[in-house]
Amino acid sequence: MPHGYHRKILHVDLASDQLNVEEPGEEFYRKYMGGSALAMHYLLKELPAGIEPLSPENVLVMALSVLTGTAISGQSRMTVAAKSPLTGAIGDSQCGGFWPAEFKFSGFDALVIKGKAEHPVYLWIHDGQYELRDASHLWGKITGEVEADIQEELGDDKVEVLQVGPAGEKGVRFAAIMNMSNRANGRTGMGAVMGSKNLKAVAVRGNNRPSVADKAGLSKLAKWGANNLGDSDIAGLAKYGTAEGTSANQSTGTLPTQNYNRGVFDKWEALDGTTMYDTILKGAAEGRQDREGRDTCYACTVRCKRVVEITEGPYKVNPHYGGPEYETTSTFGNYCGIDDLAAIAKASQLCNMYGMDTISCGATIAWAFEAFNEGKLTAEDTDGLDLSWGNAESMVKLTEKIANREGFGDLLAGGSERAAKKIGRGTEAFLITSKGQEAPAHMPRVKRSLAIIYATNPFGADHQSSEHDPTIEGNFESYADRLAQLGFREAQEPRSLSDEKIRFTMATQHMYSALDSLNLCQFVFGPAWQLYGPTELVETVRAVTGWEDVDLQELQTVGERRINMMRAFNAREGLDRKADKLPEKLFKPLKGGVSDGWKLDREQFESALDRYFAMCGWDVKTGVPERAKLEGLGLDWVADQLGV
Amino acid sequence: MEVHLQLHSILREKLPAEARGKTVLQLDEGTTLADLLEELDIKRRVVMSVNGDHEPDQSRRLRDGDQVMITSSISGGMGALLLNQSRGKGD
Repeated sequence: MPHGYHRKILHVDLASDQLNVEEPGEEFYRKYMGGSALAMHYLLKELPAGIEPLSPENVLVMALSVLTGTAISGQSRMTVAAKSPLTGAIGDSQCGGFWPAEFKFSGFDALVIKGKAEHPVYLWIHDGQYELRDASHLWGKITGEVEADIQEELGDDKVEVLQVGPAGEKGVRFAAIMNMSNRANGRTGMGAVMGSKNLKAVAVRGNNRPSVADKAGLSKLAKWGANNLGDSDIAGLAKYGTAEGTSANQSTGTLPTQNYNRGVFDKWEALDGTTMYDTILKGAAEGRQDREGRDTCYACTVRCKRVVEITEGPYKVNPHYGGPEYETTSTFGNYCGIDDLAAIAKASQLCNMYGMDTISCGATIAWAFEAFNEGKLTAEDTDGLDLSWGNAESMVKLTEKIANREGFGDLLAGGSERAAKKIGRGTEAFLITSKGQEAPAHMPRVKRSLAIIYATNPFGADHQSSEHDPTIEGNFESYADRLAQLGFREAQEPRSLSDEKIRFTMATQHMYSALDSLNLCQFVFGPAWQLYGPTELVETVRAVTGWEDVDLQELQTVGERRINMMRAFNAREGLDRKADKLPEKLFKPLKGGVSDGWKLDREQFESALDRYFAMCGWDVKTGVPERAKLEGLGLDWVADQLGV
Repeated sequence: MEVHLQLHSILREKLPAEARGKTVLQLDEGTTLADLLEELDIKRRVVMSVNGDHEPDQSRRLRDGDQVMITSSISGGMGALLLNQSRGKGD
C-alpha cells in the first residue's frame, strides 16, 4: 500500500466529457514526488509545442505531492502548471490553503485537464467520485459568491472551492486561480488558462486521508516545529505576516520604490506588517487580532496569513478576502509610491475577488505610473486617471478596470510588456520584466544571485526559486550547520558572483525546486532560516512515504529534474539563452538612501550566466540542457524530444 | 545621553505592547550598538540602522539624539542583509 499518495491521477477531457483515472506505480511517484515535477511530466508528454496558451490545446495540470494532507506544517500546497499566456513559456504557480489537503482527501493526487467545455462547468470530486456539473449560473460571479453558491448547491459548507474569477474568464493574462477566495496560484496567468477552458471551479471533499508510514515519527517532527516556532527566524513572519520584512528591506535599501528606481521609501512604515497588525487586522480595535486577524493553511502551526477588516472610510475591506502579503504591499504600495495601507488592502481584495496575481497587477500599474510621471502617458490615455506617484485612488480604480478589461485597464490586462509594445514612446525603458513576467519585490541590484534567477528561471522573474544572497553572505554563520549539508562552508563577499556563489544559486534552486515538487511551503522548509532544515526535510519524506533510503541528494535531484524539464519545455517553444535576460533598468543605478548608486554590472552578470549554464550542464551558447545531463536525470525521452 | 529606539517585527515584544516598539533610552556615553543589543537581551540575528542608514558595524558608538532602528527579519524571502557588510556604492 502506498504511503502519502493514492496512486490516482484524474484525467479530464472537457471537450468530450471524458474522465479517466490513471494509476501510476511507485516508481513514478518516487521519480517526481508530485507538484511541479509531476506536472512537467504530463506537460512534456501531452502538450504539443507551439500552441496558443489560451486555446483548447493547452493542458492544465493541478498536482499535489506525496506529502500533501499529512499532519505537519507547510504541506497543504498545490502546483498548477500549463503553457503561460503571460510569457509564452512554461507557466507554474503554487498555492496554499485548505483546498490542497481536501483534494487529497477526495481520493486523488493530481488532475490533468485538456480541451474546452462547450459551456461553463465545474468539477465536483468527492470520496473517489467525480463529475462535471453545469456552471453557467456561476459565470461572471466573483470568488466569494461562487464559493458560497457551490457550497450551498452541494449542501456542505466544508466543500473547498478552487476557481477562476471574472478576470480569468475574461483572459486577463495574469489571472490567478483562487481557493478560499483568498489563496492564489497567482503567477504566470494560470487563471486565464482555466477560464479559457470554460472550467469555472474544482470543488473537493472527502475522507480518504493518505496513509502515513511512520505516524509517530511524523508527529514528533510536527511537535518539534510547533515547539521551536517562537524562537525560530520565522517567528516575526508568523505574527506580523510577510509584510514584516518591509522594515529590513528599507534598512538595507532593498525596498523597490517608484517602479524599481529607488531602494528606499520614506513612508515605508505605513506599509510594514507591524502597522497592519496594529491597525487593520480583524479584531485590532479590541486587541483580538492575534486570534481573529491571522489565518493558516491545513495543519500549519505558523498562521502567517492575514485577515483584514475595514468598516469605515473610502476603502472598506471584507475579511473573507484575506489581507495583503509583502509582495502586495510592495507592488501596490512602494512600487507606486503609495503609503495608504487601506487602499492597498482594497486592491488586494479586488485581486482576490476577481482572481488576479497581485505582483503582476501591481507592477503593471507601477509601470503605467512611471510612464505617466515621465510624460509618456497622459490623462487621455488613462481614461482621465491621474497616475502621479502616490495616487492611491487611481491605483484602486485601475485595478478594477484591469479585472474588467475596461478602457485603459484592457491595455494593462495583457501585462506591462504587451502594453509597452503597444504604446511605444520609449515606455519599454520602464519595464521590470523577465520573459514577460513582472519582477517581485526583491532587488537583484543588491542580491546578485537573484539576477541569475530572474534572468534564467523558466517561468520568469521569481523570488521563491532559490535562497537569497544574505544567507551565504553576512548571515552565513547563523546557518552554517544547515548550509554545510549542501556543501557550503564559507561566507561569500557581498554583491559577488564568485563560482561558489553561483554554486549556491544552483544548489538552492534545486532545493527550492524540490520543495515545489513536494509542494512544501518555503517558509516552513528550506536550506537555512526556515523552521525545518534539510535534515527535517529528509526525515519528513521518510516518515510519510516509508522510503527509508531517501536522502538529501535524491531530493535535490528531483528539483534538478524539474528545472531541466522546464528548460526543455521552453526549448521546444524556441526559447533559448536569448530569452534569459534582464530588464535594462537593473543596469541603471538606484537613486537615494543606503543603496544609492547600486546597479548591476553587465560584465559580471554575463560571466556569471556562462558559469551558471556550464555548472547546470546546459549548452553555454543556447542554455538548452545537454543530452548527458538529461540522461543522468532519467530524462532520455526528453532528450529525444529535443533532438539533442 | 538620549537615544530614540525603534524595534520592529518580533523584537517589538521586548517593550510593553502599548509602546509599539518605540521608546527613548537614557544611555551612558560611549554605548555601542553591541552594548545596546546586550542590554535589550537580543540574541537573534538583526538588521540595524542609525539615523535612517543601515549600520552593519556593531562597534559603532552611539551619540546623543541618535535614532536607532533594529529589526529581525527572515533572510531569504525578505531582505536582511549583512551584519558585516562594508558600505559600498555604485559597483
